[in-house]
Amino acid sequence: MKLTINDREYEVPDQNPHRVLLWVLRDELGLVGTRFGCGAGICGACTVHVNGVATRACLTPASTLTGARIRTVEGLSTPGPDGQPRLHPVQRAFLDAQVAQCGWCMSGQMMSAAALLEHNPSPTPEQVVEAMQNNYCRCGTYCRIKKAVLSAAQQLAQETKP
Amino acid sequence: MSDAVATKKGWRPSRRQFLLGLGVGGVGALALGLPAIRLGVARAFDKGFTPSGDSLDPTVWFEVLPDDRVRLHLPKVEMGQGIHTALAQIAAEELEVPWERMEAVHATTTHGPVDNRGTSGSMTVVGLYQPLREAAATLREMLRAEAARQLGVPASSVVAAAGTLSVREQPGKTLRYGEVVAKHTGTWEVPEQPPALKPAKDFQVIGKPMPRVDLEAKLTGQGVYGYDQRLPGMLYGATARPPRLGSTLRAAREGKARQQPGVVEVLIGSDFASVAAESREQAHAALAHLELEWTRGESLQQADVDARTTVKDGAGVLVQDEGDVPEHLGRGKQLSAEYRTPLAAHAHLEPQAALVEVKPERVRVWMATQSPGSIRKQVAKALERDEESVELVPMYLGGGFGRRLDAHAAIEAARLSRATGRPVHVGWTRAEEFRHGFFRPPTHHVLKASLEESGRVLAFEHQQASGDVLFSLIPEAAGVVLGADPGSWRGATIRYAAMPHRRTRAQRVRLPVPTATWRGLGLLANTFALEGFMDELAHAAGEDPLAFRLKHLGDDELGRRFRRVLEAAAKQAGWGTPAPEGRARGLACSVDMNTVVAQVAEVSVDNGRPRVHRVTCAVDCGLVINPDGATAQVEGGIMMALSSTLSERITLEDGRVEAENFYDYPLLTMRDAPDIDTLLVGDGDKPLGMGEPPMGPVAAAVANALFTLTGKRLRTLPLKL
Repeated sequence: MKLTINDREYEVPDQNPHRVLLWVLRDELGLVGTRFGCGAGICGACTVHVNGVATRACLTPASTLTGARIRTVEGLSTPGPDGQPRLHPVQRAFLDAQVAQCGWCMSGQMMSAAALLEHNPSPTPEQVVEAMQNNYCRCGTYCRIKKAVLSAAQQLAQETKP
Repeated sequence: MSDAVATKKGWRPSRRQFLLGLGVGGVGALALGLPAIRLGVARAFDKGFTPSGDSLDPTVWFEVLPDDRVRLHLPKVEMGQGIHTALAQIAAEELEVPWERMEAVHATTTHGPVDNRGTSGSMTVVGLYQPLREAAATLREMLRAEAARQLGVPASSVVAAAGTLSVREQPGKTLRYGEVVAKHTGTWEVPEQPPALKPAKDFQVIGKPMPRVDLEAKLTGQGVYGYDQRLPGMLYGATARPPRLGSTLRAAREGKARQQPGVVEVLIGSDFASVAAESREQAHAALAHLELEWTRGESLQQADVDARTTVKDGAGVLVQDEGDVPEHLGRGKQLSAEYRTPLAAHAHLEPQAALVEVKPERVRVWMATQSPGSIRKQVAKALERDEESVELVPMYLGGGFGRRLDAHAAIEAARLSRATGRPVHVGWTRAEEFRHGFFRPPTHHVLKASLEESGRVLAFEHQQASGDVLFSLIPEAAGVVLGADPGSWRGATIRYAAMPHRRTRAQRVRLPVPTATWRGLGLLANTFALEGFMDELAHAAGEDPLAFRLKHLGDDELGRRFRRVLEAAAKQAGWGTPAPEGRARGLACSVDMNTVVAQVAEVSVDNGRPRVHRVTCAVDCGLVINPDGATAQVEGGIMMALSSTLSERITLEDGRVEAENFYDYPLLTMRDAPDIDTLLVGDGDKPLGMGEPPMGPVAAAVANALFTLTGKRLRTLPLKL
């Protein structure tokens, strides 16, 4: 089975057709930035993009994803001209607002935020809440997350101005 | 340590003493009127980092790399509380190192300072502030002396600044820290005099909102947590869990488990049955093929938990006894009320996990734990090896909150690694977390007061009953000496010094459900009861809850500090002005780890559910090392406490924890998150506790606001209208 993850092709042994993407990413491919929190699609720590849509890796069988574009937190930054990774505006905004505490939920938070901004580049605060309300943060950084997502939107708007 | 590290040969044991002598004292809110022996033992719980052996040798703490980066090896773990950043700031200040060159890593049990106490109780920065400054200043002096030798000038002419050592009035003569260490040969000279520490007015780094040292790795998805650690050839382990609390294995056979796909080993012991497999899913799936017989275990129902967690009048141990409560409680206007808080889960989002590699010569354990020293001991014991051959490598924790004192994942992985000769990772599922861990204990509070005609409280009594907090972690005999669990009565004493007669009684409730440490220990529950009742007294006296609190404060330092946070929070929140349409405000305050906190919550009711719009929080936590980090702790602590206030409750049915996953135990989300306005108002010269104290007043402030809004007095968590 071939999976396309962060624009790279991975050959994955299809040991079990029910095997969910989360454990393929983490245990098979070593892409451990996608986190496990509940295994039931509730907490959002495992959020990745499948064809640009925020998706729970803990509920999605990997076998359904051949031919799909999968993006994980490891592919959120892009290689810059100097070879150094260039952080995604969402990552920069999360860093600038010093959002994370323990940080375990943050990959999922940022993937949800990045998916939101791809579909809606200038969300209202209510739309941010709507999109982010299914990502738990036990450290309670919600007010900073909200601020960072709105600021990433502003940043994106400035960068894409003609 | 690497070659770049200063060797520690020159560090004579006697030298440690001057640092030790100035070392770490006990901290914490201790009750008055406690019998001396109890006070002594209770104080032991309040101690932070305990320096021992090499702990204050700067060459154990610091690694100066050839490129001038300074790597700080920290004995305390980073679980989100920002201590690695705060400690790096404290070190950078005395060491004169530019911030961008500071790094902070976890010490392992064989590399770096030793700490057998673990990371808990909001004690890290409090405990390490002075010793770390001294260690950093000592290293700076050693580098200065060595630079002087290398440059052939007297030490007094060398100035340390911005990671370089320059000779005064000779601009060309400069060495970088990395160069000095690289060029050094032989032993390091220890300064004869203890180094002079910077006065606070000269601080450049302490008190500034420096960016956190751990965030870039955490925000780019690097594998830095316990669940993330990997090794070539590793296996995955899973262990069978009992059907009920108290169930034990009566008999266990392999059944068809060994024939299941991917299974490498089935390990059955007297009290466990585990499987190691090539994948995590295979290991868990194979458990169903074991043939296991369990004893029946508990039949406990939730009603039994509530019934057992009930104050028996006059039982338990007095932990505060001022004035003469029995004599005065019957006078004036009598008031009494009962409050309850439920069992609660930690719900840290990274479940327990450990990777263990057992080799004949040594064992390595990678784990996200609050207690590396204790886990190391327990793994060594489980493997029947000496402790020296076990190395514990702490990883960042995906939340801790008191839950990560648990050695199970490490022991399970260690046994399987020994049996298979391969590294084994054990990562718990969410159901294992909910059903097979430990919890915040349930509590019951009976409060009584007598109110004089003048509106003054004459006598105030708090009796509380709680499941174990620290008693479950210490030997039974220590519990007998203490009488009452200092964890469960944390925050339980009445701190309004102008009330002449005050008494607090703590009762131990033995429950078959395991309970222990949870962020703040008893703080949230006790403050909910005390400050909710205080609000009831204010209303009974017909007085404004702010004015009523202020007039019952003492004239002492604590009273002055309480006054300041109460007034600051009230002013900022617009206390005394009308709340927006459909909303009301409530007030509460607490002191914990010497940090004084006051909060005003602004609430409404939305479809019959309480909704908190804003929390204004004024904090006096002494000297603030990083104001942004302190603010983050306020925000996070309030959010976690609010989730307990409005949503969280663990229940039992027939000896089982009912919750299996978050669908049974929802946490608050961004939808429920209030705006949080933080005011840091302290002016002390030493840092005080910060990781837990801001949680204290939340539940009471919200309940008090709901009373003002609806006239309903809610005395049970979670609050339901």
